[in-house]
Amino acid sequence: MTAGPPRVFLVDDHDLFRTGVRSELGDTVEIVGEADEVRAAIELIGERLPDVVLLDVHMPDGGGQAVIEAVKRDHPEVLFLALSVSDAPEDVIAVIRAGARGYVTKTISGPELVDAVIRVAAGDAVFSPRLAGFVLDAFASALPDGPRAGFDPELDQLSPREQEVLRLIARGYTYKETARELSISVKTVESHVSSVLRKLQLSTRHQLTRWATERRLI
Amino acid sequence: MTLGVAVEQLAREVETDHGVPVDVVAVGDCLLDGDLRAMLAAGREATVNSAKWSGAPVVSLFTEVERKRVSMFVRDRGSGFDPGAVSADRQGIATSIRGRMDRIGGKVTIRSTLGEGSEIELSVPRRNGRT
Repeated sequence: MTAGPPRVFLVDDHDLFRTGVRSELGDTVEIVGEADEVRAAIELIGERLPDVVLLDVHMPDGGGQAVIEAVKRDHPEVLFLALSVSDAPEDVIAVIRAGARGYVTKTISGPELVDAVIRVAAGDAVFSPRLAGFVLDAFASALPDGPRAGFDPELDQLSPREQEVLRLIARGYTYKETARELSISVKTVESHVSSVLRKLQLSTRHQLTRWATERRLI
Repeated sequence: MTLGVAVEQLAREVETDHGVPVDVVAVGDCLLDGDLRAMLAAGREATVNSAKWSGAPVVSLFTEVERKRVSMFVRDRGSGFDPGAVSADRQGIATSIRGRMDRIGGKVTIRSTLGEGSEIELSVPRRNGRT
């Protein structure tokens, strides 16, 4: 990331929504471009090379996932934050596994969105309460009968501390409040969340995908 | 009906009645039984209470179904209240929430700091959960 406010690119197929985000972000970031469809987004992001792309999950022609996959091939340094009204877990998990550094819902407040963009620009991961809930759910449901063949404990399960952190975020605690509750530093909370993001992206467990399409009933 | 569906419904109803968004996060799900219906009623009181009195722009509702228990957290970043104080509507509601949870062998924990918000935690053991 270059010095100064983060350079941000907006991708969303709803004009009104981009207008709203622009005004929420105000002067705290530099908006370097916008696109309302997948192909234009891929081209313009490649040209302008923003620090962070705020990306709608749902769009025709492959959605946010298609944008991330195409841009990452040539510009792996560009960071993505997914922003969506969608509560569909399969879409959210797909966009994270494609490489997004986090997911927030469109009901997020202006200051929280700014905070999330700055966090992503700094290389951290951003988990909304809903994403934290999805991840807890996905990892909890994956191993009903204990470890199986091909199970990698480094990637395929959450540590007890990571679970505690996610549970507090899912309950609506900010990173700061989570840190205070667990008597750890905000940096440590961030590193737990980044580690969970890595697991979410790299775990080869097919259950993650399966979970996303059929939420568990226990 | 499942707990997840009922909690979503509860959230939409409180939003409509009180004009405050209620964000739901659910981990796991299970079918409703009598105990869970009682817990939902207690959770609704806590949610309405937050929406009506806390002044917070949003109320967070988190539910988690584990093998041996089900828990529900209602959190807001509003005005907060003194859980030990006897006066006002808040205490009345706290009492009725406790009443409902006591009858099903559940637990209530209230955390609140004036000016920072509050969180009400409800939990109940599962009778027919798998071991």
